Amino acid sequence: MPALEVRNLFKSYFLHGKRIDVLRGVWMDVEAGELVSLVGASGSGKSTFLHVVGMLDAPAAGEIRFAGRDLFEMSDPAVADFRNRTIGFVFQSHYLLPEFTALENVAMPALIQRWERGSALRRARELLLRVGLEKRIDHRPGELSGGEAQRVALARALVLKPALLLADEPTGNLDPVTGEGIHQLLREVNRELGITAIVVTHNEALAQSMPRRLRLIDGQVLPT
Amino acid sequence: MSSDRHTLYRWGSLWSGALLAFSGVVVAVIAAAQEKRTADLLGELSWSAVGWGPLAALLKGIGGNLLRASASHFPLPLLDTRLWLAAGGLWIVGWVLIGLSIHYIAAPGEAPSPARGAPLYQRLARYRDFNWVTLLAYGGGVLASELALILFHTMLVTGVHYGKSPGGEPRLLQASPTVAFAISLLIGFAVAFASGFFGAARARRLATPEATLGLLYFGLPIPLLLTAISANPDLQLRVGYRLREVSYLAGLLGRPELGYWLVYLGLALMMFLGITTGFVVTGSGKVDIRSGFELFIARRHVAVFRPSLLLSVLAILMFGVIPPLIVYAIVRAAEAAVEQTRIRALGLIDPLKATEAVHQWKMREQTPTAMMTTLSVGGVGVGVMALIIVLSVMSGFEADLQQKIIGTNAQVVVSKYADSFSEYREVMDKIRKVKGVMGETPFILNEVMISSGPNIAGVIIKGIDPATVGNVTDLRKNILPGGSLDALSHPETIVARSPEQPRRPEDDKGQPVLQGIILGRELAGSLHVSVGDRVDIISPLGGELGPQGPLPKSRPFRVAGIFYSGMYEYDAKFVYILLETAQKFFNMEGASGVEVRVSDVDDARRIAKAIGQELDGWPYRTRDWGEMNRNLFSALRLEKLVMAIILTIIVIVAGGLIVATVIMLVLEKRKEIAVLKALGVPDGGIVKIFLTEGLQIGIAGGLLGLLSGISWCVLIEKIGIKLDPQVYYIPELPVKIEPLQTIIPVLIAVLVTYLASIYPALKASQVEPVEGLKSE
Repeated sequence: MPALEVRNLFKSYFLHGKRIDVLRGVWMDVEAGELVSLVGASGSGKSTFLHVVGMLDAPAAGEIRFAGRDLFEMSDPAVADFRNRTIGFVFQSHYLLPEFTALENVAMPALIQRWERGSALRRARELLLRVGLEKRIDHRPGELSGGEAQRVALARALVLKPALLLADEPTGNLDPVTGEGIHQLLREVNRELGITAIVVTHNEALAQSMPRRLRLIDGQVLPT
Repeated sequence: MSSDRHTLYRWGSLWSGALLAFSGVVVAVIAAAQEKRTADLLGELSWSAVGWGPLAALLKGIGGNLLRASASHFPLPLLDTRLWLAAGGLWIVGWVLIGLSIHYIAAPGEAPSPARGAPLYQRLARYRDFNWVTLLAYGGGVLASELALILFHTMLVTGVHYGKSPGGEPRLLQASPTVAFAISLLIGFAVAFASGFFGAARARRLATPEATLGLLYFGLPIPLLLTAISANPDLQLRVGYRLREVSYLAGLLGRPELGYWLVYLGLALMMFLGITTGFVVTGSGKVDIRSGFELFIARRHVAVFRPSLLLSVLAILMFGVIPPLIVYAIVRAAEAAVEQTRIRALGLIDPLKATEAVHQWKMREQTPTAMMTTLSVGGVGVGVMALIIVLSVMSGFEADLQQKIIGTNAQVVVSKYADSFSEYREVMDKIRKVKGVMGETPFILNEVMISSGPNIAGVIIKGIDPATVGNVTDLRKNILPGGSLDALSHPETIVARSPEQPRRPEDDKGQPVLQGIILGRELAGSLHVSVGDRVDIISPLGGELGPQGPLPKSRPFRVAGIFYSGMYEYDAKFVYILLETAQKFFNMEGASGVEVRVSDVDDARRIAKAIGQELDGWPYRTRDWGEMNRNLFSALRLEKLVMAIILTIIVIVAGGLIVATVIMLVLEKRKEIAVLKALGVPDGGIVKIFLTEGLQIGIAGGLLGLLSGISWCVLIEKIGIKLDPQVYYIPELPVKIEPLQTIIPVLIAVLVTYLASIYPALKASQVEPVEGLKSE
C-alpha cells in the first residue's frame, strides 16, 4: 500500500472574481521512503498542490490519505498535530523566525510538542551538526547567508523525524552550487532516515537527479 | 435538486413587513403607556438599559412628554386589550410578510465543472451547528450566578445555622452586608466563569450566538425585575420584602439600579472571560493550560520587560512628559555627537569598519511596533496611576469627614421616645456592659439663640458631662489653647477678659460667677468673642408665662474655651455647657440621650443593635453614625463609584491602544503566524501567544502605574498639597492608601488588556497559513 494516496484532487482559486481551476483531478501515489521530484511551469499549481498535501491549504474536492489515514476527516487540532509530528516543510524562502537564533528555530517544532527546553535544544544541536552549521548555532536568521538559512530550515523540518518531507523549491533563491548542496543533503537525509519526500522544483537538472520524476501539466500530475 | 437553487429577496415586501412589525412594537409601547405606572416603568427601564446618562435622561424626558401628549390628544377609542391585540397582529403580519418575501428559485443552467461527482472537501462548506448544550450552559450559568449571588448574600446577612457548638447551641454563620456581598459576588463570579468555560470547551469555539441568547434571555430578567422593584413602590411592598438585604446594600449607593446593572455587567464579563479561557485552553483539542513555547515566542515579540522601557515609562509617570523628553533629547544629542565623531575618525582609517558602525547605529532605532508598545504601557500606567491617586484622595476626604463627624457626634446615640430620660445613669450602666462599647456620656440637646453685643446667631446647645465626654467625642482634643473643658465645672477659674465689657444692670443683681460655655471657632469669630468674654443665651421657650404666651428666657455665660473640629457646620453651630446647667436652664430632669463610643467604627451598626437588645428596645432607640448621616455617605460612595467608572474609561482608552498595538503586531507577524501554523501550532496556541503579548503590556503598565501611584500618594502625604482654607476647610489634601483600592485598579488594567487582546488574538489565529506564506 502506498504511503501517500492522492485521489481526484481539485483546487481552484479566484482572480478578479474569476475561477481558475488549478488542480483538475490529480491522482498520485507515493511509496514510503520514496524521493519524488515534481516539476512544472510557473503558476502550474505545484506549490498549491504541495500546500494542499501538507494541509496548509483547503482543496475543493478530492481525497488524500497518508499512512491509511484520511486527512480531510481530521479535526482542526488533529490537523495541527499532524503538521507538527508527521510533516516537515521546507519553503522557497527559509521562513525562519527572525527573533530567534538558529538553534531556537530548529528546536521550535519540539517546543510546540511541549518537549522540555533542554532536550529540545539538544536535539536541535544534533541536527545543526548534521547539516554542518555547528559554527552558526547562536546566530539569528538575519546573520545567516541564504544557503545557511535554508540548511537551518531543513534541520527544523527534520527535528521531529517526520514521515513526510515537503520541499517547495528549496533551492529557488540559491545559486546553482549552493542549491546542489541542499539537494545533496535532501538525498542523504532521504537515504539515511528513510523519509518520504516530495521536492517541487523548476530546475530540470536537479529534478533529473531524483529517483522518481513527476510533472504537473494542465492540473494533472503525470510521470515524465 | 437543492444544489441548483439560490435565494431571491423581494425587497419591497421585505421592507413593508419590517415596517409593519415595527409599528406593532410602537402600538405595544402606546398600549403599555396607557397606564401611568407602566409608562414610568418603561422610562426607568430604558434609562437603565441604555445607560448613556444625560442623553438617555433627555430622551426619557422628551419621550415621556410625547407619550403623555399622545395619550391626551388621542383618547384612543380602543380598549386596552384591543390595542394589545392590534400590536400582536401587526407584529405577526409583519413577520409573515418578511418570511414570504424570501424565495428560493432555480438557478439558470450552467455547464457542470470537471469536479462534478467528486466528494466536496467538508471543511470548505462546514457550518457550525447551534450547540444547545452550550446555550444551556451559558444561559443557565448566568441565571445560576445571579440566583447564587442573591441567595448567598441574603443567607449570609440574615445568618445561617450550622452544626452545634460544644455547648449544644446551634452555631450561627453571619457576616456584615459588605463582607457577605464580597463573598457572594466571588461565588457568582466563579459560577459565571465556570459555566462560560464549560460551554466554550464543549462547543470548542466562542459560540457567540449562544452567549448572546443566553445572556439576554436568561440573564436579563433578574436585573430587570430588581430595577422594576426599585422603581415601583407597590412591587417593593409585595415582593421586595424577601429581597430586602439585596436592596438595602444597593440602596447604600443612592441609585440601586446602578448597583444591579454593574453587578450584571460584572457577571457577564466573568462569563465572557470563562468563555474565552475555555476556548483558548481547549483550542488544541484537549485541556492544555501549559504555555511554554507561547510565552517564549510572546516575550521575544514584545520585549516589554526591558529596563530601558520600564524606566522611561516610570520617569514619564513620575515627572510628566516634558522633563524626561528634555533629558532624553539631551542624552541622545550628546550620544549622537560622540558617535558621529567616532565614526568619522574610524572612516579616516577603515571605511568598512565605519559603515559597520553606521549600520549598528541605525539598528538601534526603534520599530513602530516597539514605539506603540511603549505608548501602550504608558497609557495603562497613566490610567492605573490616576485611579489609585484619585481613589486614595477621595478615601482621604471620606475618612477625614468620617473622623470629624464621628469625632464631634458620637458613633452611637441612645435616646428615648417620649417621656423624660431621667434614668440615664442606670441606662449608662447597662450600656457599659455591652461588648464593644468604649465609653458613654449623657447629653442634652436644644436650640437657642446666642448673642454678644450686637451680634446674634442661632445655635445648637449641648449640655455635656466634662468628666466622661472625653471618652466619647474628640471635644477635649479639639479645644484650642487658652481654653479648657474643665473650666465648665469650675466657672470661677475663668478669667474675665479685660477690658471688661460695660457692666450691665443684671450683673449687679448678684450672680457672682457666670457659668462657662464653649463655642466653635467660626461662631466665636462671627460673634467677635474670645475666652473670658461674656455671651447671652436666649431660649424662646421655658421662660415665665407672660400675658401673650411664654416669655423668652435669657442667661449670661462666660466663654470658657473655643473648639475647632474642622467641620464648618459644627464650628459655626455648636455650643457646649455643663449638663446640670442645661438641666436647670431647660427645666429638665434627665438627659436627651446617651452618646456611645464603640471599639470598631465600621461595626457600629451591629453594636448599636446589641445595645438596643440589652435595653429591651422600646422606649429606647439606638442609632449609629452611618444611619444618622446616611445621605452624606451614600452620596460620597456614589461619587467615588462614578469617579472610578470615569477613570476606568482612561484605562479602557489605553485598552484601545493595546488593541491597536496587538493588531499591528499581528499584521507585522502574519508570515511568522503562518510559519508557526505550518510547524503545527494549533489555533489555541496562536491565541495564547498574542493574548500573552497583550497581557504583558497590561501587567507592565499596571505594575508601573501601581508603583508611581503609590509613590505619588506617599509624596502627597509626606509633603502635602495646600488647599485654600476658605473653600475646603482642610489645610491640605488628605490621602488614605487602602490596599484593596490600590490592587483593584491593577486588576482592572489586567482585565481590560486581556479583553482588549482577545479580538486581535482571535484575528491572528484566523490567519490562513497559505495567505501568510504568499505575502512575501
